[in-house]
Formats: sequence, C-alpha cells, structure tokens
Amino acid sequence: MAIAISREVRDGETVAVGTLAPVPAAGVLLAHLSHAPRARVFIFNHEDYWPFRQGSKEFYDYAQRGNFDLFFLSGGQIDRHGNLNLITIGDHDHPTLRFPGGAGSAMLYYMARRVIIFRMDHAPRIFVERVGTIASPGSSPPDVVRPGGPWKAITPLCVFRFDAATRTLVVESVHPGITADVLQRRTGFPLDLPTPLPVTPPPTAAELSLLRGRVRESLAKAYPRFAEAVLASR
Amino acid sequence: MPVPGHVGSDYERLRPDFRVIRDPYAADKRVMLVPAIRPDVALVHAHLADTAGTLLLEEREDDALLAQASRVVIASAERIVPTDLIRRAPTGITLEGLHVTAVVEVPRGAHPTAVRGVYDIDERHLRAYMAAARDNATFKTYLDRYVFGPRAHDEYLDAVSRP
Repeated sequence: MAIAISREVRDGETVAVGTLAPVPAAGVLLAHLSHAPRARVFIFNHEDYWPFRQGSKEFYDYAQRGNFDLFFLSGGQIDRHGNLNLITIGDHDHPTLRFPGGAGSAMLYYMARRVIIFRMDHAPRIFVERVGTIASPGSSPPDVVRPGGPWKAITPLCVFRFDAATRTLVVESVHPGITADVLQRRTGFPLDLPTPLPVTPPPTAAELSLLRGRVRESLAKAYPRFAEAVLASR
Repeated sequence: MPVPGHVGSDYERLRPDFRVIRDPYAADKRVMLVPAIRPDVALVHAHLADTAGTLLLEEREDDALLAQASRVVIASAERIVPTDLIRRAPTGITLEGLHVTAVVEVPRGAHPTAVRGVYDIDERHLRAYMAAARDNATFKTYLDRYVFGPRAHDEYLDAVSRP
C-alpha cells in the first residue's frame, strides 16, 4: 500500500499527511526520498515535516487556501460514490456505531486537489453501497466551490480510481495474488471488473530497500511503534 | 462564519444551525455558514504560566483560540514562573493574561495525556481506561478510584502511580 501510494506522489507537488496515517506517511516519505525530491511535504507530528507553529488552525487555514495538491482521508465507511462516513451508522441520535467525527474532512475533501482514500482493511462492512451518514461527499454539484476531490482509493487488496464521469470508484488494479472473486467478496458493492484484471506492479527491490531503510528511520520520528513493528527487517 | 466545503454533506441535515446561503461574493455558488462556538468555561493546560495569567501553550493545539472564545478561562500550568521565562521560550504559543480568569499550578496536570517535552502519554493508564470503559460496572470502578476517590491532585497522582 505504501508503495502504491508513493507512486501517486508527483515531484514538485505540495503533499500533506494528517493524523493516524502511518502508511500514507511511509508512502509520501518513500516518494520524497526517491522520485519526488522537490515535493513540499507535510507530515503531522513529524519534526522534520511539520512547520506549523500556531495550532491546527494554521494548518487548516493553509489547506483552505487550496495549497495541497495531494492529501489522504479515510472513513469508517466508504461507498462506491466516494462518500466518506466519519459520523454515525444508524439513527443519528441512537446510532449503532459512532465514529470519531468528520473533523476537517468535509473541507479537505473539497480543497485538496487530489485526495487518496486509504483503509488498512478491505471488508464489505467498510466498502458499502451507501454510507450511513455522509461526512464528506465524493462529488458536488457545480454551484459548490470544489477544486478537489477523490482521486484514488488504496486498500490492502486493490487500487480504485475515482471515475469523474460516473462519479464512482472503479477498480484500476488488484495487488499481486488477489483474485477477482476475493475482491468482490470483500467489497460491499458490485464491481464492474475489467478483463483481464490489471495487476498492481509489485514492489521493486529498490523501493523495498528504501522503505525498510531511510523511510523507516524517518517515519520513526512520527510513528516509532509502527516503524519498528512493520518496517524493521526481520 | 463561512467554511469551505461541507455543502452537500449530511451536516446540512444533522446541523440545522449550519446554514447554506448564496455566496454574496460569487452569485452562482453556495457557501456554508457555521455559528461561532461560545463556551461558558474553557479549561486549558499550559506548559508555563505567570501570576498575571500569561500562558505558554502547546503550539500544535488551539488552546489560545479556545480561551479567546470562552467567557471564563481556567488555566492550569505545569509551573508558575517569572514572566521573562515565558517571553524567552523558543517554542509554544503565548496567550496574554487578559484572556485568562484564573491560573493554578498543577504539575503533571495533563495526565494521562502528554505535555510535549516534559512527559509522555501514560500508555498503561490509557489502556486501563479503555478496558474499563467497555462496560458500566468496570467504568464505575475506574471513576471511583481515579476521579471521585482522590481528594486532590497529589492523591490522584498517587492513585495512578500504583498498578
């Protein structure tokens, strides 16, 4: 996933990674240390990549100006139209499940040029036909200021791209070893899968080496446990 | 105040106090307005404070904004210090005492969360809290032991230092 994310980062862009996002942070660091050395990178809570000194307001104000070319969001539920639910499932006043809240996602999803949706698990209860509550809609009518929106969704099974014409997530590639059958069974909405099914290019030796070396060292400044548990060589 | 985005989300349905209007500066666009938050009381924890209520606050948080929005501001601080130590601090956000109602010295006052550069999150305690919060009976035990039991902060710190 980190490597698939890394390949979406373009040199010279302004890229930001928010809270609780170690895998996007690893992907962005990998890009910055390889093909995107001139990217301007922000990683929350990373001493080398977080220059905001006037509270989170400074960060949100910066984002509201439309400064981010690439940002990362997730959701408790994600639907085929790219809608994100970070609020509740069920009756809002008596929910069956309450998520932490939308925070800035309903602004960042509009104002960051390209947003990559990420989830560390891919299951029918997460990738649903229709989210219970829309914290952040995948698309907007023309009378809403929206320079940005969903670009890709990257999971442990596949890469979706957001199709602007149909306003839906469509499968771009499956990761090596994942079959169409597995992907459909673990996705809660019907997939229109291309044949043959494109396969995500596997990680190269150079990408893996960098990920387990300099990326891990840098990532440890923001996510020490994750860097040690997941990226340390065994 | 206006906020970018949000239009078309379920915030429109769930928050009747959030209004969508025609953008007065762009007639073909709609924009969402949200009311200002006006707390009666804000509790903030500072790294340092002086006796005039000047605070040195964590630079990654919005405590200074919160304090300025609130009618009453009660600040706790790791240490009460002479003013010049706050003025010379290389990092952090300074808030003037005019925004602060009361200030009190409470070392380790952010426990079980962290004061960056002073002490870390008490992960063991937070895990115990999470386990206790799973049902009412264990949560009541937690509250009795750590919230209602201790009569003052030093007794709280004593309670949380025991396994």
